Amino acid sequence: MSGFQGYVTSRAFQGQRVPQHVQNLVIRDYCQSHGLRYLLSGTEYALPGSTLMLQQLLDGLERLEGIVFYSLFQLPENPPARQAIYQQVLKQKKSLHFAVETLALQQEQDGQRLEDIWGVFQVMKHVPNVQEML
Amino acid sequence: MFVSDSERVIAKQFHENGFVIQPVAELAQFARIRQVVVETAASFLGSEVVNEESFLNQIHEQIDVDQLNSLRLHVIRQMNAQSWFRAAYFQIAKPVLEALVGNELAMQLRINLSIQLPQDHSSLLPVHADVWSGDSPYEVVVWLPLVDCYRTKAMYLLPPEADQQLREEFQNYAGRSSEELFRRISEEVHWIEIKAGEVLIFNQNLPHGNRVNQELETRWSMNCRFKGVFTPYGDKRIGEFFEPITLKAASRIGMSYRFPKMQSTTGDT
Repeated sequence: MSGFQGYVTSRAFQGQRVPQHVQNLVIRDYCQSHGLRYLLSGTEYALPGSTLMLQQLLDGLERLEGIVFYSLFQLPENPPARQAIYQQVLKQKKSLHFAVETLALQQEQDGQRLEDIWGVFQVMKHVPNVQEML
Repeated sequence: MFVSDSERVIAKQFHENGFVIQPVAELAQFARIRQVVVETAASFLGSEVVNEESFLNQIHEQIDVDQLNSLRLHVIRQMNAQSWFRAAYFQIAKPVLEALVGNELAMQLRINLSIQLPQDHSSLLPVHADVWSGDSPYEVVVWLPLVDCYRTKAMYLLPPEADQQLREEFQNYAGRSSEELFRRISEEVHWIEIKAGEVLIFNQNLPHGNRVNQELETRWSMNCRFKGVFTPYGDKRIGEFFEPITLKAASRIGMSYRFPKMQSTTGDT
């Protein structure tokens, strides 16, 4: 069963709620345009803070080429937890993809790129959307 | 303000005109960008290229409007797939971006390409300001022509002074169309004249757009938004649209700093 499994969430993440079928459409389109074989998606439980399904996918990583998240911001909010995921994926020579952002973790330096985005996101997320200030 | 004379001059032009045109900062990077576009388009069409600029200018002789979007999407996909592409695009405008925006920047994740064939009504951008559609007013657009652009082969921009007058009348346009808005400003817009090898940086808060290209050549231009990485975002957010490209060490340190945990001895929390 070699290919990429999708990862979607059934609850809002970082202030966004996207219907699951839309998340799947975006993942499917990403896989198609990047030549990745898409093996359906695992859906995270709606329980606040749950990463049970993500952990399930990571535990079964040896059977996959990687995981395609709908968004980078579905990764855990805690930086060490993200780092642990990056390390596990790279150690197993697999990859993570983030469909909305069209970003991927395929090598060590990609982790810094993703963390820069997360870092700025965390600093700026308490600044209101500028449209509300105009 | 502790800014150099050259920065002051650029900032004054930008304030007064709403745009700045400069020679590209790295000609070799411009050549590399144009080459990848030409080669990708030529392979899509199965064409031989003798002269890059003529090939681009006369592409309408090889393609019709029905095929245009497929070509455009193909080139956009291929150019953005080059790992060096966005870095080269940034280098082209780096000095002027640093003068106008700052040195810790966020850049759009995917660079856009416009191809406007002569007499093509399908590729028009009605008058708009990006900020009206969810962009942050802190953004600027770096617009890079791959061919010389002039008159209707180029884009237009409403100068700041005229924009100020328009803003005062804006409430009168409720329920009317963008074409009516264009007719109101059509005598006041500035048509950009720019050569291949130059770069335009404009204030996207000002109304701009294009019209049917009435010239005999096709326009090829790219556009990409930049902003200060720690300035407010609109609907185009960090990660899904923008990415930090020049974070400095102090910012990285600040972003990851947390106070050490301490056990309270007073019962205070």
